[in-house]
Amino acid sequence: MSKQSVKGSSRRVLVVFCHPLSDGFIPEAMHRVQTGLANSGADVRVHDLYGEGFVPELSVGEYRTHVEPGVSDDIAVHADNLMWCDTLILVYPTWWSGQPAMLKGWMDRVWASGVAWELPEGANRLKPMLHNVGRIVAVTSHGSPKYINALQGEGGKRTLFRSLRTMCHPLTKTSWLAYYGIDANDLKRQQAFLDGLPGAIEKLTN
Amino acid sequence: MHVAVVLAHPSPDSFAHELAARAVAGLRAGGHDVELVDLYAVGFRAAMSTDERRAYHGDTPILDPLVQAQADLLQSIETLVVVYPTWWSGLPAILKGWLERVLVPGVGFRFDDKSGKIRPGLNNIGHLIGISTYGSPRSYVGAVNDNGRRTLMRALRLSCGWRTSRTWLGLYAIDTRTHTERQEFAAHVERTLSELR
Repeated sequence: MSKQSVKGSSRRVLVVFCHPLSDGFIPEAMHRVQTGLANSGADVRVHDLYGEGFVPELSVGEYRTHVEPGVSDDIAVHADNLMWCDTLILVYPTWWSGQPAMLKGWMDRVWASGVAWELPEGANRLKPMLHNVGRIVAVTSHGSPKYINALQGEGGKRTLFRSLRTMCHPLTKTSWLAYYGIDANDLKRQQAFLDGLPGAIEKLTN
Repeated sequence: MHVAVVLAHPSPDSFAHELAARAVAGLRAGGHDVELVDLYAVGFRAAMSTDERRAYHGDTPILDPLVQAQADLLQSIETLVVVYPTWWSGLPAILKGWLERVLVPGVGFRFDDKSGKIRPGLNNIGHLIGISTYGSPRSYVGAVNDNGRRTLMRALRLSCGWRTSRTWLGLYAIDTRTHTERQEFAAHVERTLSELR
């Protein structure tokens, strides 16, 4: 899972890939992201949520113990990798203005007490724990043009860059690499976006 | 009126379950015909499957009878009530997946071949009501954008139409609420829904 290239970026990158298919725009984008990471030589770990059969529904047992530190055994490796990385890259399609249920479930279950936050006695705000994370990168596609997403409130972007980001290092940087209007089927523009990804990712993880 | 109450919480003894029960009681007191859908209890799967994704833009995007039953229900109601805890400023995965898998083309929306635009598919829904609990105080919820509320009240509303009315009932900073405050909120939910016309 992990590899250290001789080229020597010291970045520790966790890539979470969420798409039900292995072909199409987002799977293609995932390949470009991996090319960029190979070029920067960062230390990379990857989770393919569909490929691994990740279970996105938070269980009743997890709910009952959600204030106690730790995650279920079956997702311990996800928690370990989240606490290990300094750069988090999420590659997913935007559905209903946000992350697919599969990826939302990864957040619901892995960003747990003792991993992402703690809740001190009597507090009503979570105390962040993911000080290791200094950059969040989203690589995503939208069916609609950008103004539709603005109208819908840009939920996906804000979930990552406002809600999750508050659990990370206070100076965490964010990068939004988003394609809009994929339903318009402009293959030339799609190709240009994909072709730009390796360089963009290499630069962000150097 | 025919009303669906969709509930997304894993624990049967949760406050969300109590709120759903109070919503149902209020609606029945108002003379409405109510159907409660407890997504965890019916074993709804959150993730759109590979086969469903491949079928999404085809003639039969729904492959699961459980999803078909939800689509039929949505097309038969005048009011939709959604009850859930807000997690990471948004919908629990199971509820997000319900949107993704049930409100497929032909149900939630239609592609207009002439204009190439997306048209609402659920014009039958005249009222959209969201009931949610939040760990965070209201000021913080506002600052992070209240994404779950926006997904329902904006994105889902686009599937119903501009004439659809919206009602939001939120209980904020729930971890520090007293029993009395929770009960007041539950009573408020029941009263509000009993007054629905």
